[in-house]
Amino acid sequence: MAGAAFVAWVGAAIVVLADGRRGQALGLALLAMSLAVLAWPAGMAAGSVAIALGGLIAAVQCWRSGPAAWGIMPAGSTPRLILCIASALFVFWLAASVTSGPDASLRFAVIVVSGLMGARVLMSRDTSVVLTGIAALALALGLASGLAAQSPGPGPAIVGGLIAAGVLFVPAAPIPSAIQAASPAPTDSDGA
Amino acid sequence: MEPELLLGSTLALVLAVVFAPPRAPRANLLTWGLLGLAGMAAIAIAPTLDLIVLILLVLAVLQARLASHRDFATRLRAPVLAVVLLALGLALERMQGPVVLDRFGAVGIVAGLAAAVGLLPYAHEFDPEESLVASPIPWIAFVGPLLAAAVVSRASGVVAADAGDAFGAMLIGLGLLNMLWGAVGSWRTENDAAAWRYSFMSDWGLALCGFGLAIADGRAAALIILFSIVLGRLPLYLWSRQALREKVPTDRPINLVVAAVLAGSAPFAGFPARVLLLRGATQLYWPLALVLAAAMLLWLPGSLRLGRSMGVPRGRQAVGVAIVLALNVLLGVYPQPLLTLAGL
Repeated sequence: MAGAAFVAWVGAAIVVLADGRRGQALGLALLAMSLAVLAWPAGMAAGSVAIALGGLIAAVQCWRSGPAAWGIMPAGSTPRLILCIASALFVFWLAASVTSGPDASLRFAVIVVSGLMGARVLMSRDTSVVLTGIAALALALGLASGLAAQSPGPGPAIVGGLIAAGVLFVPAAPIPSAIQAASPAPTDSDGA
Repeated sequence: MEPELLLGSTLALVLAVVFAPPRAPRANLLTWGLLGLAGMAAIAIAPTLDLIVLILLVLAVLQARLASHRDFATRLRAPVLAVVLLALGLALERMQGPVVLDRFGAVGIVAGLAAAVGLLPYAHEFDPEESLVASPIPWIAFVGPLLAAAVVSRASGVVAADAGDAFGAMLIGLGLLNMLWGAVGSWRTENDAAAWRYSFMSDWGLALCGFGLAIADGRAAALIILFSIVLGRLPLYLWSRQALREKVPTDRPINLVVAAVLAGSAPFAGFPARVLLLRGATQLYWPLALVLAAAMLLWLPGSLRLGRSMGVPRGRQAVGVAIVLALNVLLGVYPQPLLTLAGL
């Protein structure tokens, strides 16, 4: 399980560090598979399948949209790299040392993925990047119910998988042309 | 409490669509209103907070895809921050560890709630020229009341007993902050539309304090305040948008009556809510009642200003305003049926 939690962090870190569609899709696929592995022993077999399927559909859709490049760690992405490493260290300390109980890997994965995906959505203005972050966040939220002492069943995981599968198909409405003409073109303000 | 608020929101949507100003896009309002109601119904029946957070995420994405002055990513920031804060708060509550983690979890849930609704310190970006459905107003005045009731009721089963006090104190603290900031903002800000938004915040401050008191009087006050937001302030704001654009302040008797509704004076719905809140605060900790009473006086100047900004309602809008006033009088004079229905 520790390996799956590590892969989940790697997947989330790739989503944070990549600007191209291939990099994002790779991160999302890694994340989906590792979260599905973590969900299985948490008593959510059906949820595990939903997370895997939802994540893979999202990854395929991500592969087909956005800039056709890997774009992993472009120039200026040092703050994002520091965020990934620092958050992993902090959450590892929290999950393994501060808290107790048998699900340390699950605790680590849920917190680190939720935090990193939240940061990814907040720091980017690119629609495809934001939607990828939301798909990954939905997968992590679906898994989070596994932390409860009395598991609420596969419902949240299935809903999370469905959201992940569907969110990348959502077309964002364009900003009206009159407004675009009146304001400067948006730039990616994620520190890259 | 959620079914009653769902009923109130449905009634508010009917009022908004039937009595919408002539140039308002009724079909758009109805479509997105029904979508919001569907989401709210899902929130009301969701058995766990996890599902509520996921539904919130779906609603945020759907609203953000509407055409607006603000881009997709900008509009998603506050709701996604809310989702992340709620999720982290829930995760911390569910872990076995020191009490301080449970308290941090309570902070996460309250902060997430404030971010979802658009309250301080996470007020949503507001553009007075934006269409109503794409603006932050649906969060603070339509979806928000039911969402808050659902989050607070589900959180009571999740937040550890040791962190219950911290949860209540956070709600009261944020309530006081929003109350003061909103009341002063609605009085002092230059833009009338922004003043309306601040006035929603100040009402929310009362509701948060009511939830934070965690006694029957507090919850009853919160329910009445949320009802007065959905069935009073929201439709009045909708009907004032045309007059806000024309920027013609009026001083007719109807403006004074609207100001009285907005200020929560007797015999309107805000009055029993304030009385219940003061009674509950006195039971719990009397200096809090003193602070609340002083803060409630701040509603008056802002409400007079908002009442004047409404213009003179004519035709359909006049009928709509009359219905809203009647509903608020009914709730103000005899709130017991609503409270009984909600089991309070």
